[in-house]
Amino acid sequence: MKKVMFLTVLVLMAIIVTACGGGNESSNASDDEVSLWVHTSDETPEGEAMQSTIDRFNKEYEGTYSATIEFIPRSGAGGGYEDKINAALTTDTLPDVLTLDGPNTAAYADAGMIAPIGDYITNKDDLLPSIIQQGTYDDQLYAVGYSESGVGIFYNKQMLEEAGVDLSTLPTVEEPWDWDQFMELSKTLVNTYDTAAIDMGFDDKSEWLMYAFSPFLWSQGGNLVSEDGSTAEGHFNDENSVKTFSFIQEMVKEGYTTITPVEKGFHTGEYPMKFGGSWTIAEMEDYPDVEYGVMPYPASPDTNELVSPSGSWQYAMAASSEKQEAAGALIDFMTSTESLTEITLANSVLPAAHSVVEEVQDKVSPQMNVLIQQNQNSAHARPVLPNYPQVSRVFQQTVSDAAYYEENSDVQKLLDEKTGQMEKALK
Amino acid sequence: MHKKLKKSIEYFLLILLACIFIFPMLWMVVSSMKPEAEIYLDMGGIQSLLPSLDVSQWFLTYKELFSRFNVPQYVINSIIYAVTITVGSIMVNAMAGFAFAKFEFRGKKLLFGLLLVLLIVPVETIIITQFTVAHTLGILNTRLAVVLPMIGNMFFIYLFRNFFRAVPDEIIESVKLDGANNWIVFWKVILPMSKPAVATVGTLSFIASWNDYLWPLMVLTDTDKFPLQVAITNINTTQPVYTNQVMAILTISTIPLIIVYIFAQKYILQGLGGSGTGIK
Amino acid sequence: MNTNKRENVAAYSFLAPALILLGTFLVIPALMAIYYAFTDYYLLTPDQRQFIGLQNFMEIFKDPIFIQSLKNIVLFVVFVIPIQVGAALGLALLINKPRKGNIFFKVAYFSPVVLSLVVISVLWLYLLNPSEGLINSLLANIGMEAQPFLSSPKQAMITIVFVSAWQGAGYQMLIFLAGLQNIPSTVYEAGKIDGVNKWQNFFHITLPLLKPTSVLIMITTLISAFKLIIQPMVMTQGGPMNSTMTPVYYIYQSGFSDRMIGYASAMTVIFGIIIGIITLLQSRLTKEDDM
Repeated sequence: MKKVMFLTVLVLMAIIVTACGGGNESSNASDDEVSLWVHTSDETPEGEAMQSTIDRFNKEYEGTYSATIEFIPRSGAGGGYEDKINAALTTDTLPDVLTLDGPNTAAYADAGMIAPIGDYITNKDDLLPSIIQQGTYDDQLYAVGYSESGVGIFYNKQMLEEAGVDLSTLPTVEEPWDWDQFMELSKTLVNTYDTAAIDMGFDDKSEWLMYAFSPFLWSQGGNLVSEDGSTAEGHFNDENSVKTFSFIQEMVKEGYTTITPVEKGFHTGEYPMKFGGSWTIAEMEDYPDVEYGVMPYPASPDTNELVSPSGSWQYAMAASSEKQEAAGALIDFMTSTESLTEITLANSVLPAAHSVVEEVQDKVSPQMNVLIQQNQNSAHARPVLPNYPQVSRVFQQTVSDAAYYEENSDVQKLLDEKTGQMEKALK
Repeated sequence: MHKKLKKSIEYFLLILLACIFIFPMLWMVVSSMKPEAEIYLDMGGIQSLLPSLDVSQWFLTYKELFSRFNVPQYVINSIIYAVTITVGSIMVNAMAGFAFAKFEFRGKKLLFGLLLVLLIVPVETIIITQFTVAHTLGILNTRLAVVLPMIGNMFFIYLFRNFFRAVPDEIIESVKLDGANNWIVFWKVILPMSKPAVATVGTLSFIASWNDYLWPLMVLTDTDKFPLQVAITNINTTQPVYTNQVMAILTISTIPLIIVYIFAQKYILQGLGGSGTGIK
Repeated sequence: MNTNKRENVAAYSFLAPALILLGTFLVIPALMAIYYAFTDYYLLTPDQRQFIGLQNFMEIFKDPIFIQSLKNIVLFVVFVIPIQVGAALGLALLINKPRKGNIFFKVAYFSPVVLSLVVISVLWLYLLNPSEGLINSLLANIGMEAQPFLSSPKQAMITIVFVSAWQGAGYQMLIFLAGLQNIPSTVYEAGKIDGVNKWQNFFHITLPLLKPTSVLIMITTLISAFKLIIQPMVMTQGGPMNSTMTPVYYIYQSGFSDRMIGYASAMTVIFGIIIGIITLLQSRLTKEDDM
């Protein structure tokens, strides 16, 4: 009996003691020490590059400013890291500088969580337009992406040649193909190999469908929502949207692509083509037998304008930070040509600034250069809306639903219904 | 002859069932023992369930993995958390189960009903408010924050209560007549007689804490306190993702669970009706 | 009176650690969530939280996705409970008797429980692939048409039922095993003397004595089945066409992706009440004084 009481008291004591003694999570460091949270781990090339940039910052600003970095590895869809940011927000324990994914810019800025940093950034003109587009909300720059991403069409050279395709006729960034030409190629491949011509990643039903498929809509001249982001009616269900989603539907209906691709089907020679990004280039190193090239996105036949996916993680300053000068200096330092080049090369990603493109283009593979070139010319950031998660999800579901061509043969009807859902999210 | 045939059929059935259940684990282990490309090239054939034909490949993945990530540190952290939570969980929940099983006290029905209601709470959805509580207590970024919320568990209390009820009251009475207090009864009679329950709760609790990812990540900021699950997510989302390395880290994280289970199932067999211990 | 009081004190001292921990880390957060259900709490602006009465609740009943998710989960529960609990009991009975190599079988049947869902989902996505998967080539061998499985709005949930039952049965098997071990062998010996056969043994001795364990398993499996989230999250992301969207998944999505904590909390409350009622009905049905 006594022992039970003793144990109970012990547990209570433990709680109380730690309650009083353990509250050291808020940094009580010096005035000019800036804290930085990043979504990656210090064991990744990306994290290592960040650490090294921070070290250089501390050296250069010794005596004035200093910075500490905390690594909070995220899970698949950003969960984990973002949950932690949200939790820190409710308890007012945000760091001075944090990383955030492109689509979060508007929500964070709108909630007054992050502060405008335009005045601190010295190389704004050097940054790619898509980077500025992604970080701007209400005409103010809130966040700066430190790398870029993009998607191109990876093709298996041998498989295309065996199907009678002359590789020299394939499109380039200067002269892209339109959807019809692309479907023609797909048809040839399907006839030769009796399997889907391209893995477009329909099995990934998350952000990918928005990221990879929305450029088709922009190429067609359409948009998800109105310019001011207040309504989807008359935009997401207009003629341009119908044409775009009919193209997507036709790709599935004709069997040119599949909604249930086999994992690594392109890598193993199952499919002749694949939507891929810079990460695919890294993956392909393990499949040396496949000789592959990269071609740009197909464009709408109506406009012939090449538009390609884009988006990245960015640095931003917490509005609650009391060390804005120092935090601004840190972000500016981390987005300088030298720092950006370091992280671009370390992480094998696309450059975020014109000067960085020049630095790296001789050091990377020709395939990577196609992606870099496409990105520099045609990257389009995703819409900067506070309700982005809902808008994006409706778009994802529309792509996914459109692929069920039997159930949704009436594309206009499908879009009208989805526009209603989007409208609900925007209000 | 007839008996032998029956036995063969029985074994055939058991093995067939085992195959249905075990192939993912087999695939996981062998996939960690071949180059990335082979995993997908083999897929579909019988070779997908065999390791690389080239023996020198077998441990290469592990070597690469260990050079990229500080695996031992994560494993040690995970073991610390899992063992603490398991021991704490057995103690705390068994005590509560004992109270529900063998005491008549005021508010018992109500309290038990309330605790049952707690089973319904979808823990996934209240993680933000849990964090707020941990913050108020000031235990963020301590190992205590990882451990404490995982100890109390209504399901385990319920399970212990059901098992303890099966212990005959006469035994407790007779021990008490010998001058034992409630604590001795609990410690010397109830717990030893309920090894299957202890082993079951221990196993389930160990697995749950071992596999928990989101909570430790939320309450910890020092990388050197992170458990293995955080590393797994990390390896699984660091582009490029090497499937063989993912399978290697998953193999490493599965082995302790299998060992715990093999160890525990020995005790599950030592229940009331089993050999030796307990009443006859 | 005196003994009564002493018993009260004793009972509560045994209960105290559990009550303190559960109270701190489960009851308080849950109560906070209930309060949020009546506010317009947006995750990123915690300071601007306002009390809005029943507005969230009114909207939920008009939310087609939430209604759809309720239909989906009922379908899931109706199929998964008998399949999973039946399989668990079958497996437990199979390996309960001592034989050579039993440890291997036990580990095998239990292994999906400890396996990472990453492994399981990657593998099942492969096996269930409509054009290349193993399951369809097996079906072709017995002359059946290829099935779309997870990519069909009609079949996706049923497919998840089977994968979940397969994955989770080992968990309940473990508890059934512990329950079986709790039945004193003397009971069976007495039965032997009376000359009962195996089936009588099972129906008249094992099952009744297993009842407390069965009730526990039925209730907890039911509740955890209602809380299904991980499998659709990993395997189908709720699709196709929301056919595998479940309430907890939708709550999670509304709360953390869409940041509508108030709205998500209100759904949690409604959903909690629904599960509560069903659990109560079920315990009445089993007529177990145990509950």
